[in-house]
Amino acid sequence: MGILFLFVMVIGFLLIGVPIAISLGLSSVIFLMVYSDSSLGSVAQTLFNAFAGHFTLLAIPFFILASTFMSTGGVARRIIRFAIACVGHFQGGLAIAGVFACMLFAALSGSSPATVVAIGTIVIAGMCQVGYTKDFAAGVICNAGTLGILIPPSIVMVVYASAVDVSVGRMFLAGVIPGLVAGLMLMVGIYIAAKVRGLPAQEWAGMREILVAARDAGWGLFLIFIILGGIYGGIFTPTEAAAVAAVYAFFIANFVYKDMGPLKGEGDHRHAFLSRPQSLITVFVHPDTKRSLLEAGKTTVMLLFIIANALILKHVLTEEQIPQTIAGAMLDAGFGPIMFLVIVNLILLIGGQFMEPSGLIVIVAPLVFPIAISLGIDPIHLGIIMVVNMEIGMITPPVGLNLFVTAGVAGMPMMRVVKAALPWLGILFIFLIMVTYIPWLSTFLPTTMMGPEIITK
Amino acid sequence: MHVAPKTKFGRVINEIEETLIAVILGLMTLVTFANVIARYVFNANILWALETTVFLFAWLVLIGASYCVKTRAHLGVDAVLNIVSPGTRRILTLLSVAACLVFSVLLLIGSWNYWAPFAALPMLDGTLKDQAWYEVNDIPMLGFLRFIEASMNEGEAYEKLPRFIPYAALPIGLLLLTFRFLQVAWQVITGETDTIIASHEAEELVEEAAAKAERED
Repeated sequence: MGILFLFVMVIGFLLIGVPIAISLGLSSVIFLMVYSDSSLGSVAQTLFNAFAGHFTLLAIPFFILASTFMSTGGVARRIIRFAIACVGHFQGGLAIAGVFACMLFAALSGSSPATVVAIGTIVIAGMCQVGYTKDFAAGVICNAGTLGILIPPSIVMVVYASAVDVSVGRMFLAGVIPGLVAGLMLMVGIYIAAKVRGLPAQEWAGMREILVAARDAGWGLFLIFIILGGIYGGIFTPTEAAAVAAVYAFFIANFVYKDMGPLKGEGDHRHAFLSRPQSLITVFVHPDTKRSLLEAGKTTVMLLFIIANALILKHVLTEEQIPQTIAGAMLDAGFGPIMFLVIVNLILLIGGQFMEPSGLIVIVAPLVFPIAISLGIDPIHLGIIMVVNMEIGMITPPVGLNLFVTAGVAGMPMMRVVKAALPWLGILFIFLIMVTYIPWLSTFLPTTMMGPEIITK
Repeated sequence: MHVAPKTKFGRVINEIEETLIAVILGLMTLVTFANVIARYVFNANILWALETTVFLFAWLVLIGASYCVKTRAHLGVDAVLNIVSPGTRRILTLLSVAACLVFSVLLLIGSWNYWAPFAALPMLDGTLKDQAWYEVNDIPMLGFLRFIEASMNEGEAYEKLPRFIPYAALPIGLLLLTFRFLQVAWQVITGETDTIIASHEAEELVEEAAAKAERED
């Protein structure tokens, strides 16, 4: 009974417009005051331990910071140039290049909306110029942008890893094949649509252009090697890899691309480093640096305040033995793995309508994790299923985050974006079914590279 | 939402808040990065690096939460708010602010009760537990703070930083949060604002992108 009261409170608060973080925290506090004798002091302790006790979460601010430095216009432009050089000459090439660019940018950033903004602002306008309809362009980018949380690094994966205590490195590896498959499926879909509708192709720019564009974009794309190579080479912990990535991105944005900081001149002019060597010092107090740090700091605070409060709720659920109760009920009802995964999909798709993905994962993961383990489902596989569900939640109305962002970026009304995204949503749904029922997609890479998962109950 | 403080005092406070958030995040990154460099280049670990980063992290979020209230950066669901009449919307917003205030006051009480013993201060019900001798695990005592030993630790030297210093983020953060919610409540009552949440995390990014597209047209 009490637990129903708890969830009714959460949803009630959410609907009248209480911030998500406060809805979660306040419901938990009220529940504790009514049903248990824990003190307010212990709630405060849980809040503090969200940071002091979860070292994995520490990677999140650094990934956000790296992504902020990488989002300074120039990186996206270089990636897009490279993508067009590679695949632009196919029919529907610009749209395929848009998907490819989203995949590459997703490898620099752990967030989907950031991917849509960075790639979408440039590609959607470009596609319209060469004769695509705006709806087609927006629909493609809106869907491809969701790959931001599937292709490592991914903030949602860090949160999942921290919530159920699996390795972040494994989760990142597990996202690689599904990310590539989803991207390829979208590209094939576009290619077919392009053949049917007779969409334009770009001219083949030649091998030379590919090499030049690759070298130019390479500085940014090297970031993914630092992160993955560093983690799997055993050089860094994921948190350290994220911090190194942030410092690297800072250096590249300021001194190589010069899209921000002391070497950025008026318009397209860039100062040579040797003409201003003092920039090595002044860069640390440059307004651009402060703006990026503040931007990333704000996102971190907003996200972590939700996660910290979700952890209070998780603490309540665990203390009341809720996961065990639910697991028992489901097992008694005779649910097999397939039925169970369908239920997980449904919970996440519906929950994703109201909640920020990371907060939802913190709450749902501990609830379904014990059941998954007793049904013999691999924890890494479960994680990837959850991430793909979050992706779909981002592009289903009414509250899909990517829909809002695309509407804003493309300057289109929300309903038109929903319609434009719909055909491609079908592809992602097929992809979700594939990921759910073909565990191999998620588990092959981590098992091959890091050995079989050891499950401790 | 972009905030433009109206008074000079408001601008100063805003500057302090923004600088603090930027500096803390920058420090976290540099300390973690320095630790990696120390390990590979100098073959030495900075023992206090991880704990320092973790405490900075707690300060960043707990202090930053109030700034996010001011700038309306906290996410919420506005689907219902957008379909009801302005009058109902106002009532619902007032109710939400009230809920936020209940939360922040309860957590402020909890924070004080949790923190007070570490600072040898009485809890709100008057109980006094002196735990001022509790220290953190790795961060050494800072020289310029030695003067507190006389009053806090009966004159005995702290080897490591006493716990009440990093843990102070809790009461300070929750106090600021309560203050900001009171301020928002006042703004809602006077009709200055009718929203306390952001509907999605990328609002500002999208605004910027739209503004840029307009300039280019």
